[in-house]
Amino acid sequence: MPVPTTGHTTESLTTWLAERIALYLKRQPAEIDPDVPLAEYGLDSVAALSLCGDIEDDFDLVIEPTAAWDYPTVHALAGHLVEELAAEAAKDGGA
Amino acid sequence: MLIGTELQRAVQDGQEAPGQEARAATRVAELDRRLGDPTDDGNELSYTRLLEADEAGELSEPGERALDELGLGADFVPRAEGGRLERLDTLVRIMRQVFRRDVALGLGYGVTSFMAAVNIWTSGDAAQRACLARILTGGGKVSVAYHELAHGNDFVRNEFEARPAEGGGYLLNGAKQVINNAQRADAWVLFSRTSPAPGSRSHSVLFVERDGLDTDTWQVLPRYDTVGVRGCLLSGLRFDDTPVPASALVGEPGKGVETALRAFQITRSALPGMAVGTTDTALRTVVRFALGRQLYRKSVMDIPHARGTLSGAFVDLLTCDSLSLAATRAVHLLPEQTSVFAAATKYLVPKVLTDAMHELSIVLGARFYIRDGEHGIFQKHLRDMPVLSLGHAGSAACQATIIPQLSRLARRSWFSDEPAPAQLFQPRTDLPDLSYGRLTLASGRDGLSATLVAAVDQLPGASPEERAVQGLALQLVDELRQVQEASRALAPEDRTALARPAAFALADRYAVLLAAASAIGVRQQASHDGGDAFLADPAWLAAALHRLARRLGRRPADLPASVDARVHEEVLRRFHARTSYDLYDTPPAG
Repeated sequence: MPVPTTGHTTESLTTWLAERIALYLKRQPAEIDPDVPLAEYGLDSVAALSLCGDIEDDFDLVIEPTAAWDYPTVHALAGHLVEELAAEAAKDGGA
Repeated sequence: MLIGTELQRAVQDGQEAPGQEARAATRVAELDRRLGDPTDDGNELSYTRLLEADEAGELSEPGERALDELGLGADFVPRAEGGRLERLDTLVRIMRQVFRRDVALGLGYGVTSFMAAVNIWTSGDAAQRACLARILTGGGKVSVAYHELAHGNDFVRNEFEARPAEGGGYLLNGAKQVINNAQRADAWVLFSRTSPAPGSRSHSVLFVERDGLDTDTWQVLPRYDTVGVRGCLLSGLRFDDTPVPASALVGEPGKGVETALRAFQITRSALPGMAVGTTDTALRTVVRFALGRQLYRKSVMDIPHARGTLSGAFVDLLTCDSLSLAATRAVHLLPEQTSVFAAATKYLVPKVLTDAMHELSIVLGARFYIRDGEHGIFQKHLRDMPVLSLGHAGSAACQATIIPQLSRLARRSWFSDEPAPAQLFQPRTDLPDLSYGRLTLASGRDGLSATLVAAVDQLPGASPEERAVQGLALQLVDELRQVQEASRALAPEDRTALARPAAFALADRYAVLLAAASAIGVRQQASHDGGDAFLADPAWLAAALHRLARRLGRRPADLPASVDARVHEEVLRRFHARTSYDLYDTPPAG
């Protein structure tokens, strides 16, 4: 089962993303500045697609495979995910 | 199946308007008739004459004239835009007529334009589509200018720039290299950097007409000499602050990578299967040799190794055509799933076809090294073939498209998805229109491997061939299980373009399994409602799965002797009847 969707904040998502992206880049999470575009760290377009797959799996949330292209920093992506998760929760609640 | 006079009668009687299959068969026959018998030296499009053009580094002039007269450009234009394109599998079938004679002509006359055009069909506006349709139906060419030598398939790093100009439009700056027809194209599709920022939203696709450009600001770069497709006019383009209008932009600014990746799904599905015609000629050439040559007081065809090699090549052609069929029909039927199927097709089909030709070259012996005469076309096809693994998406780039999807497929699709619809595997049934808008970069769905999984649940028939198929299918399902486990375990760093070789090997194994699933689907469908009798026979499928299992490093049990006998008989029958070595068994137009 997915983790409950309501408990996520921009902060918790920022932490999750930094940890996951660090794995892709073989760096420490602390090295990932949340406001620097991921491509500047060398995160390639293939890895960006993989990252979107991880998000789908861990949060049971369907997102555009290109989300990490449109929201190119950790902060931008975390903000986008908070909105998507909230929209998903509202949909589930209303169903 | 409607062929020849039967078809003409049906059309003349006006019982009903000819359907998709009748249109396809008519068009294939038209090309065959106009291009003529390639083994007849009196034909200006004979292998002998095509070899002469190749030696001279020219595209065959009579070949280009014939394709002009046939109006082949219209085959790359959707019917809705006034052309003839309605189905991708049909386009493959049509282009096979060109590719079996000359790969350079197939690429240089047509496919380059098709590769450029799909960007406009998928993402262009009405004016761009109309302009392109006018060029192609009028016999003009369009170049696809993506490539920059410095960046290879890593085109997100491309530097060629289209800088927004003051007062609207763009200024082009930089060079594109190894571009087919750059010099003579009426328009180019240019993949251009429109923002200096790194990442995947900094490029846009531009459709630039040559007419009206400031001639002082751009030039065609010198032509490249190549190992194969020597007739192709590969050169480059350099621009220096060349203004182009804002209307050149295709789709939204910054969406170039996405536009390209969508277009690739169509071209990667369609191109490889065209070369089935090339390997068909190679096989036919070697069958002729094997039947005619005496060694050890026998014909070469009686030597078991030679005979087995020829049967193997034929089976490989059927396997490649099965995957090509499923991939091209998937663009119509399962557009959400095509990103992996297309990449698997572009990766595996050229590889299997090239391997088959190398094996055939051993039977041909010293003759394969001779550049002219009766067998000369063999070495030309062998030299030309690798371009299909290089052009527009290298093998590794195709694997890199599959790799980020493996873990998602492993978790969400394999062993749980619905099998693909039956129509995916039917070579002659109608298809709905192409729906470009539904192509997506990744979906996590795969109905094709589900066809493999579902096949083992069906009770096998009693014949030794059917039991062999069942045993092989079980091994392949076991292989899928292993690929699933390994894909689930892939570390994040192995789901990038810089993944370790093991991840690339997984993509390879998965592509082989998709080919097996396609062949199984084709045979299943042929065995229903009066399909093709040979395709309905389990013999070819047993041989195909056996070869795929061995490609995966397995050691399957020997096949019943009846399998090779049946396949061999068909190799000979098609040679003498001069019908094609693919799923269509197409007779010569006569």
